[in-house]
Amino acid sequence: MLRILDKLNPQALRILALLLVVVAVLVFFSLVVPNYLNGRLFNRISSSVAIMALLATAQTLVIITRNIDLSIGSTIGFVAFATGSLITNNPDLGPVILVAYAMGLGAMFGAINGALVAFAKVPSIIVTLGTLALFRSALVEYSDSKSISTANLPEWLVSFPNTVLWQWGQMQFRAAFVAAVLVVILVHIALTRLRAARKLYAIGSNPEAAEMAGINTRKTVFVAFVLAGALAGLGGFMFLARFGTITVVAGLGLELKSVAASVVGGVNIFGGSGTVIGALLGAVLVDLIDTSLVRWQLVSEFWREAVLGVLILLSVATDALLMRRLMAARQAREHRKAEAKIAQELASTNRGGAE
Amino acid sequence: MAQPIMQLRGVSKSFGMTHALTDLSLDLYPGEVHALVGENGAGKSTMIKIMTGVYQPTAGDIHVDGGVRKIQGPQAARDLGVAAIYQEPMVFPDLDVTENIFISARSEGLFRRPARQARKARDLIARIGMETDVDQVASGLTLAEQQAVEIARALSEDVRVLIMDEPTASLSAHEATRLRGIARSLAAEGVAVVYISHRLEEIFEIADRVTVIRDGSHISTRDIAEVTPDGMIAEMVGRDVGNYLNKAPSTAQDEVALQITNLTQSGVFEDIDFTLHRGEVICMAGLVGARRTDVALSIFGVEPATSGTIRVFGQDHQITHPRQAMDAGIAYVSEDRRKLGLAMPMPIRANISVATLGGFLNRWGILNQDAEREVAENYRTRLNIRTPDVEIPVGTLSGGNQQKVMLAKWLNMNPEILIFDEPTRGIDVGAKAEVHDLIREFAAAGGAAIVISSDLPEVLALGDRILVMREGQQMGLLTAQEATQERIMVLATGQAETMEAS
Amino acid sequence: MKSTKTLGLLAALMMSGASLANAQTALEGGQEADMVLLPKFLGILVFDQANEGAQEAHAELGNPGELLFVGPTPENSVAGQIEIMTTAATQGQGAVMLSNNAGDQIAPSAVAAQEAGTRVVTWDSPIPGGEGEDVFVAQVDFGSIGTVMADMAHSILGGEGQMAVLSATPDAANQNAWIASMQEALKGDKYANIELVDIVYGDDQAEVSYNRALSLVDQYPDLGVIMSPTTVGIQASAKAMQDEGLCDQVKVSGLGLPSEMVSYTMNGCAPEFALWDFRDLGYLTYYTAYGLATGQLTGDIGESFSAGRMGDFAIEEDPGRPGSKRILMGPFTVYTSENVEAAAQ
Repeated sequence: MLRILDKLNPQALRILALLLVVVAVLVFFSLVVPNYLNGRLFNRISSSVAIMALLATAQTLVIITRNIDLSIGSTIGFVAFATGSLITNNPDLGPVILVAYAMGLGAMFGAINGALVAFAKVPSIIVTLGTLALFRSALVEYSDSKSISTANLPEWLVSFPNTVLWQWGQMQFRAAFVAAVLVVILVHIALTRLRAARKLYAIGSNPEAAEMAGINTRKTVFVAFVLAGALAGLGGFMFLARFGTITVVAGLGLELKSVAASVVGGVNIFGGSGTVIGALLGAVLVDLIDTSLVRWQLVSEFWREAVLGVLILLSVATDALLMRRLMAARQAREHRKAEAKIAQELASTNRGGAE
Repeated sequence: MAQPIMQLRGVSKSFGMTHALTDLSLDLYPGEVHALVGENGAGKSTMIKIMTGVYQPTAGDIHVDGGVRKIQGPQAARDLGVAAIYQEPMVFPDLDVTENIFISARSEGLFRRPARQARKARDLIARIGMETDVDQVASGLTLAEQQAVEIARALSEDVRVLIMDEPTASLSAHEATRLRGIARSLAAEGVAVVYISHRLEEIFEIADRVTVIRDGSHISTRDIAEVTPDGMIAEMVGRDVGNYLNKAPSTAQDEVALQITNLTQSGVFEDIDFTLHRGEVICMAGLVGARRTDVALSIFGVEPATSGTIRVFGQDHQITHPRQAMDAGIAYVSEDRRKLGLAMPMPIRANISVATLGGFLNRWGILNQDAEREVAENYRTRLNIRTPDVEIPVGTLSGGNQQKVMLAKWLNMNPEILIFDEPTRGIDVGAKAEVHDLIREFAAAGGAAIVISSDLPEVLALGDRILVMREGQQMGLLTAQEATQERIMVLATGQAETMEAS
Repeated sequence: MKSTKTLGLLAALMMSGASLANAQTALEGGQEADMVLLPKFLGILVFDQANEGAQEAHAELGNPGELLFVGPTPENSVAGQIEIMTTAATQGQGAVMLSNNAGDQIAPSAVAAQEAGTRVVTWDSPIPGGEGEDVFVAQVDFGSIGTVMADMAHSILGGEGQMAVLSATPDAANQNAWIASMQEALKGDKYANIELVDIVYGDDQAEVSYNRALSLVDQYPDLGVIMSPTTVGIQASAKAMQDEGLCDQVKVSGLGLPSEMVSYTMNGCAPEFALWDFRDLGYLTYYTAYGLATGQLTGDIGESFSAGRMGDFAIEEDPGRPGSKRILMGPFTVYTSENVEAAAQ
């Protein structure tokens, strides 16, 4: 067992620790909530996590570069509304054009953030706090107090998220969930396999060194924001498809949930490390706790937010503790190995010296 | 001689009203190790930053291979084959060794090829004589290994001019020797190595030529054979510092200040045993990993010992927290100014008063800034801290002056016993001499000092007695008369046992 | 008029009683008063409808002053409302018409506005403690709305079954009052076989409400109806039931907008729901505020006046908030498959 742990890299260890926490949460709630563990639970979580998975992925891209995007909730709201109004006015548009429109619009918002952060050198927390309000105001202005309503959306769009692609017992794998997971996997592959993606990690890991290593940090940070915007735009499209009715409050507060999901998922808030698979698991964990708490009679509505906060902290702490234990055990073994080597070396040089 | 690879021609750089560099010229030839020396603040860093494209000169040109080139940024510098490594290595702690080496490689295509890169990384690491595991994450590497990673990165890009800025300042003697070996072999392959160091002895060991700069101006460039240590120091500081390595007379008194008996921290060090008198300076020598800092930290209560006794002025003390150590009159000046010692963005004044804040409160419990300032001003003059006033952030001072602020902070506590951990690491000759004077002054006034140092000449010059450690063991306690560099090294490397045994 | 099933007979009786006791004040137009209509936040259809009603009254009364429709953005609602209230007072506006989203936090700035001579009329959602408020224009009687919701549940469940409530935020004053009045109504014999199993909160956000509705279904396998007294919650619940194919099993009801609910009413997911007319609410609120701002009304209990096309109204004590005053608009409309399509136009 320990041998296998040694082979895993820290990120894989973290994902393992997260999975253990997810299982622990499942076991706990199955003990206190009747009728809990069944295929329906999977369907609920998988459907509702589809959007958050995209947002957590977007947020992760930005956080890795030691930045943050607080405007993501407003971006999703605006994109959902604008995409909805486009299809309402042009009901014949196809899915490809609609998705491209949503992602393009999101990328444009990301570019605004990125330009201000990378080129105007304003800290991202300030920039995106500003654009959080700005994009939301733009939506209020643009919407003219109308709302997008399900009745005006084409059938294919509304039915897309819940289309069951395949079924295993009670568990349904629905289009929105499958699409979101595919996107996460795609981004994961890009982050681990593309050479350029290493630059994101490098910048978050040590910005000064990145500059010295000749990485174009501005361009890279800009690109990270644009990509995050595009993913948020895709999230906006999914939001539209899932909820149908879009008002100016759409996506309110999602920025903090996306940060929570990423951080719970092991993305270092100070940049440099983290995986989108972790962020996906983080989103699952937060959503799982949130959904399960509603069904736990013991916790009243007024305490639910607080309990959710405590449980998130606990799961992060457990995860960190597990990680530290695993890392410490590994380091201790490596240390012993190194000491043995030094002893050997010294013995040989001493022999040389004594001759 | 061949054509120079890189030439600086009359380069100047000013920041507003300050002239960091004035009309500086320098030729770098392939295959030479060119040492660059000067006090802290002489303009060496500015020069490196101009050579690596971080700064643009305000006047003058840079020639590469005989033609004028503008180096617009770090990437442009790397494209020309100019790379730099620093005392604090510029690695990416979250990436593994391979990724660190190839992070800025351009010819690698769209996708990473982890297996192929790892193979190439292993070759590069082997070429500089290291054995680091290339799949390891950089945050787990030693400083020496991190530097090796940086050198490997430079090699992977066909480096032609390699600038090494204080590369050995934080390394053990063994690691430093190996690093100098790497520098020499790179030069032998035709690379121009620019070598910056405060350790004069290593300059005489590896440099072909030496350039001295002072106050942003070029003072001299000579072949190493034409240079003497004293002459070089005189040129660097522009005055005669005298020989700071002269042994000062002991001021030790009879009264025992600190008595350590069988101090043990299981798994870290064991059976440390010595007495320290008023007015005495004991130096702790040893290689990296000898656990000297751990002993100091346990006396100071940060990592309490598991057994053994600490007796301060005849009284037993259970020290499990720094507060208790401070109450007993013990202070510890840490090695890592940035991490443990100073709040860099805060003014000098606040840094000096922070450990003794209680003394600056008026009767309403409100901080009296005037009193703080007065004390800080006092130290500024006494310790010769070079700064216009005490309100500027500590982070903007040079290393030597930061060290003095650290000292002021602890001296202000009026400690009886002061532990200095590597007090002169990375600071220049002039400041070094001043720090030595301060320690001697403290002892002469009746204080007792422990100085941890890896600089052997410093140990010999400063210590009334020298405690040598190796891997958590006390190997010997030498008097100044007995001590020589050779004897200390024999003890520190553990060759004494084997020699006796064989 | 369309074939709408109107309720609130009781309220109508109370009004006519009041008008018998007091002389009518006929509001005189043409006097100048600057007015501010302050919704919870901008970008919501019903608030825009209220604005249309207010603009209609503004034109009708020939007020040479200005009617401003200003509000905060959604993410800044509470702080923004307080700020606008304060600004209105310093500008010396004649009246602020407030749909309060800031709870009692807005009271200090509302009191300050009153002291500066600005009249504060609340509508849609009052200041809970009543401090800083001249009068509240209530869309419906908060007591009767409980009965209406109980009746809708009764009709959907056929007199027997489980019901759960999906509300807005846990501290939303109007929703909490309505739920309390519904719980009171459920004690009647008629509803003996209807069980209220849970009350959850969707924070007036589509995604939260959607997930909460599904959790209710998972938690209570025998649930028959989800009652949602918020336009966001009812819509999200109906969508959730439809998406999961649960409409045969669990119906949705509550307060909703015809334009948003029409498809769910027609396909049976939400067979009945209710709402009042926000245009009328804005219209009446404007008349009240105009009367107060021009000094034609004093705002005392028992005072009555005539509000243009809507007829006569009286100021009375608010039964839900002792010590505070209200004007009751009523009645409201219950929408079914018979009338919803016409109303959605």
